Amino acid sequence: MKTTYRVDFAEELKKCVRCGECRANCPIFSESKREPDSPRGRLSLVKLLQEGKITPSAELSEKLYGCLLCKTCAVNCPSGVITDEIVMGVRDYLDDVLDRNIIKKLVLRGFLTRPALLQTSFSLVKLYQKTGLNNVLTRSKLIEHLPEQMSAGAKILPDVSKKLARGRIPEVVKPYGEKRFRVAYFLGCATNLIYPDVVVSGVDVLARHGCEVITPAVKCCGMPHLAYGDTDTAVQLAKKNLKILLSAQVDAVVTDCSSCSATLAESYSKLFEPGTDEYNQAKELSNKVYDLSKFLVEKTGVQPGPNPVNVAVTYHDPCHLKRGQNVFKQPRELLKAIPGVEFKEMKEADRCCGSAGSFSIMHHDLSMKVLERKISNIATAKATVVATSCPTCTMQLSYGLKTHGMVAQVVHPVQLLAKTYQTKT
Amino acid sequence: MLEKSQLVNDMKKLLGPEKVISSKLERYTYTYDSSFLSQLNEFYPDVVVCPMNTEDVQIIMRYAYQHNIPVTPRGAGSGQTGGSVAVKGGIVLDLSGWTDIVEIDEKNMQVVVRPGIVHADLNVALSPYGLFFPPDPGSSKMATIGGMVGNNASGLRAVKFGNTGQYVLGLEVVLPNGEVMKTGGLHSRALKSVSGINLTSLYVGSEGTLGVITQVRLKVLPKPPVRGILLTLFSSLDDAAATVLEVFKNGIIPSGIEILDDSGIKAANKFQPDLKLPEAEAALFFEINGSKAAVDFEGQQVKEIAEKRASSVEWATDAQRMAKLWQGRAVIGAASARVKEGATRIFCGEDVCFPMAKVPEALRRIKEIGAKHNTLVVIYGHIGDGNMHTAPIIDPLKPEEVQAAHRVADDIHQLALELEGSTTGEHGVGFTRSQFMEEEHGKALEIMRIIKDAIDPKGIMNPGKIWAER
Repeated sequence: MKTTYRVDFAEELKKCVRCGECRANCPIFSESKREPDSPRGRLSLVKLLQEGKITPSAELSEKLYGCLLCKTCAVNCPSGVITDEIVMGVRDYLDDVLDRNIIKKLVLRGFLTRPALLQTSFSLVKLYQKTGLNNVLTRSKLIEHLPEQMSAGAKILPDVSKKLARGRIPEVVKPYGEKRFRVAYFLGCATNLIYPDVVVSGVDVLARHGCEVITPAVKCCGMPHLAYGDTDTAVQLAKKNLKILLSAQVDAVVTDCSSCSATLAESYSKLFEPGTDEYNQAKELSNKVYDLSKFLVEKTGVQPGPNPVNVAVTYHDPCHLKRGQNVFKQPRELLKAIPGVEFKEMKEADRCCGSAGSFSIMHHDLSMKVLERKISNIATAKATVVATSCPTCTMQLSYGLKTHGMVAQVVHPVQLLAKTYQTKT
Repeated sequence: MLEKSQLVNDMKKLLGPEKVISSKLERYTYTYDSSFLSQLNEFYPDVVVCPMNTEDVQIIMRYAYQHNIPVTPRGAGSGQTGGSVAVKGGIVLDLSGWTDIVEIDEKNMQVVVRPGIVHADLNVALSPYGLFFPPDPGSSKMATIGGMVGNNASGLRAVKFGNTGQYVLGLEVVLPNGEVMKTGGLHSRALKSVSGINLTSLYVGSEGTLGVITQVRLKVLPKPPVRGILLTLFSSLDDAAATVLEVFKNGIIPSGIEILDDSGIKAANKFQPDLKLPEAEAALFFEINGSKAAVDFEGQQVKEIAEKRASSVEWATDAQRMAKLWQGRAVIGAASARVKEGATRIFCGEDVCFPMAKVPEALRRIKEIGAKHNTLVVIYGHIGDGNMHTAPIIDPLKPEEVQAAHRVADDIHQLALELEGSTTGEHGVGFTRSQFMEEEHGKALEIMRIIKDAIDPKGIMNPGKIWAER
């Protein structure tokens, strides 16, 4: 199987001894209890495909898209099988040989590659929310009669009526005091459109920590494309972002989105042949990419403001941050450094919330079952604020808390830190 | 002969389509367990059904009995002998979704469970009551209780706590004709019973050949309050084995005594670099549990005995370090492949058990067998009861290495018989060891067949297992 996303299928697949350890760790298998939904089951099917014993099919595709790509199986596999990478690679292969759903294609190739078009589409969503059409659909229960995926999307999508982040941030933000670092803030699609307040806080906090912050006009990081096997588009996006970010002459590229940082730091190098210019550039970029909390804890040191934030906070580890980048201590350290914060560790803090980008829309019922366990763990932690470092986790957790009648708020850790500088009015 | 499509349609009609898996692609995921032989073959079931209550199983068995259809019960499919693989096709019963705990009887120290509950999950549920189910398979996180009973599994704590069978008080079994039988007394909550022929014992370890276990009543024990692990390293396998014998001679029964050979130590370090096991010919892990005074005293005694021969000794009571050490040992079965780049471990000839006095000789000769066939064999396992696990490390894409591994497995099985041991200590026979049963059991195998024929006259329960083809 030839794929752009570099996975040595034969070598990786033979590592699997079919011990079944992954059944214990997979959030999807935990809910379905069926072998075809387990990482081992998926791997066995990929092996059949790789050996030419089966041909690509819609059924096979469905099985492989039933994976959250949460990496839980991979990091716990005694044999070191990188199941999520294998699944990504096969999705890439299937994309080339199967006709993919036209709507997904439009979204991936049309909207996400063109920020302007994406912004226009979100203006339509805003209109939908501002006119109250969403309320009409929900209250009248008409929403239940929409096509399943559209209905799920409408339920989960939060209020997007705020002004986009890009319009609220100057191109260059000067540091407070002496300049220590020049930083590029990688503005991810979801944060820009759905959670612009995170960006405003993030940029302000970086400036307060001696950073000159620029917000280059980057493209989508490419994670949605990789997840849906559209690797060709991901390559194009990677090339553009590499050019933009490496020419920005910055000390670091910082982002509030764990999927963006994982893609920039880990996935780009898998899109190019070793030894090529692009591969070397991807490696160079990888060394500069930081999750926002990690940058603040490790590079600048956290310097909170004088105002306490008196809340009980728990933290949800996004999959791509904890298992993808081994970043889990830093957000906690940052939260604990905030005056007034009472940190409460939740049970299974690193268990996937079931969001996984658009998984919560495409596999809504299954995603909600995975979410159920997370919400129960949040409830047990008795926190009033849930912090996390991923916009789609934020969306999913907010939806789960709302539907369970819980008042806890979901924020990025940096939003709490930003509050310590605000004077009370 | 019933058409496969008819079988699928009937199952859907009888049980509901949500309990039936029929597409070829999905059925493929039921053609294997961990055994290497199951991965070299493709034993497709005609249909997979996922019963969720005893009535479901009765319906399936009545149907199968009427139409002479093979039925293979399956838990997590983490076995290593092909025991849960449908070598004759027919129906696979995926029982792993049936995970209910029917009752925790705290005062009588017993628990009633359905077959699909996973070992680790059961112990999590028992923990608030201060109880635990002692047998600890290395595969605790995936092994189901049904599978453990079917194979009479034991594992890392068998030295002190024995095997699964010692804890099974009674079973609910759906017989091949669909009737339900309860063993151990219809209403008994007694911890001991010698009333009648022990049918519970007959079913434990019968590998699904005599019926479908649908409920298990287990004896459980108070959870030991304190635990310690002594890690010891030796420059020779003989020294390690001699240390184990001396510990027993001093009247100490640790809950577990585990061994890793030099390759196993390397694999453990590769899987968990923070384990930082020093290089050695052998590592022994002694687990001691009980009251604080007992653990301190016995821990000290074992330490003193080990120091006579060991190159390094570490006594750990920190929960995190102990968890790491135990986990490092527990997953070595799958992690042993890490010692050789581009290779994997395969499960064949993996579960031999030797008399205690012959363990040093066995360890030495297993190494010689590996060398003879030019195959790296990692040795690890339960040295405290002589149950050794052997892991040939090969590149499965190279036919000559595969052939060599088969010869290694055959020789290891023969060695077990030659040294008055057993071809399997805890994994079972399945279809991977059936060719050795005649030699191992003689006349007793004939009696086993008579029992099988009496209970399952049509031979529909898990055919092709334990007994070689007649």
